[in-house]
Amino acid sequence: MKLRVQYTAQLRTAVGRTEDEVELPEGSSLAALVEHLAAQLDDAAAGHLVGPGGGIRPSLLVVVNEAAAPAHAVATTSLQDGDVVLLLPPIAGG
Amino acid sequence: MTPAELTPDELKRYQWQLWVRDFGQEGQRRLKGASVLVSRIGGVGGSAALHLAAAGVGRLVIAHAGNLRLDDLNRQTLMTTDWIGKPRVESAERRLRELNPLVEIETVAENVSEANAAGLVARADLVVAAAPLFTERLLLNREAVRQRKPLVDCAMYDLEGRVMVVLPGQTACLACLYPEPPANWKREFPVFSAVSSTVGSLAAMEAIKLIARIGSASGGLAGRLLTFDLRDMSFRTIAIARRADCSVCGDLRS
Repeated sequence: MKLRVQYTAQLRTAVGRTEDEVELPEGSSLAALVEHLAAQLDDAAAGHLVGPGGGIRPSLLVVVNEAAAPAHAVATTSLQDGDVVLLLPPIAGG
Repeated sequence: MTPAELTPDELKRYQWQLWVRDFGQEGQRRLKGASVLVSRIGGVGGSAALHLAAAGVGRLVIAHAGNLRLDDLNRQTLMTTDWIGKPRVESAERRLRELNPLVEIETVAENVSEANAAGLVARADLVVAAAPLFTERLLLNREAVRQRKPLVDCAMYDLEGRVMVVLPGQTACLACLYPEPPANWKREFPVFSAVSSTVGSLAAMEAIKLIARIGSASGGLAGRLLTFDLRDMSFRTIAIARRADCSVCGDLRS
């Protein structure tokens, strides 16, 4: 299945582009997508997605088709072909 | 508290906003009777404070440490070039008084810390959080939730902005969104004043709506994160659910 992944804020700066198209096996979970991205991207970008231990950063807001994915359900949320996944790392510019 | 009566001078000064639907003299009296804490009055918070002063909030508590630097001036619109090297809060206070001498301004030349957070929040009815550090924002959130006061969190990066309103016990709080201080945030961020001021304006409007009771709670950003990108002028709001395991508001009932 094909997914559209959109980057924002410091993650977008680190990745160097606004979005990617990602191909993953049918039924892959949101966690699998984030792990896939972290493996593909360089360390600076991956650091916005996963912590040193490899787990998804608790403060990364993941939005699938305009709805926030609950933090506790990232591992069990299955994605579908055509889903748009927006990744929002925290910002605090004042 | 009974909102204060409006003087002839106030009726004239605020005439054009008294025409706003659902606002009127009752809304203006509520603003007059209210106090707002704005934590840091830089690009975002300075804009919020300016609009709250123009609207006639009775008392503003502005907190920000340090002296003005030349490289603050591309975005900190309450500051003036002649004040470089002097305390930021003094410049901000002067500008706010010049705009609206009817507003009481309290200055605190400190940033939010564990030592002063509870006391600062206690001095106001509503909190606007606009610091460039998550530790300060999360401290304000914790104290606002403890003291059951609404909090407007507003932030920006590059051409992006975000605003969320926290109603303690009713909506997600900032710690539901950010359960721990984000490790990767770098304080140095790209900023145009046009972006930071937009975020501050939106935050001020949310504060005015909450105080004056304009519209319904669901019509604003209570429990919803507004995120926008001025590069492509995209605006979206995302509902943020409360976390049952939130260390700050998890046990709180409405």
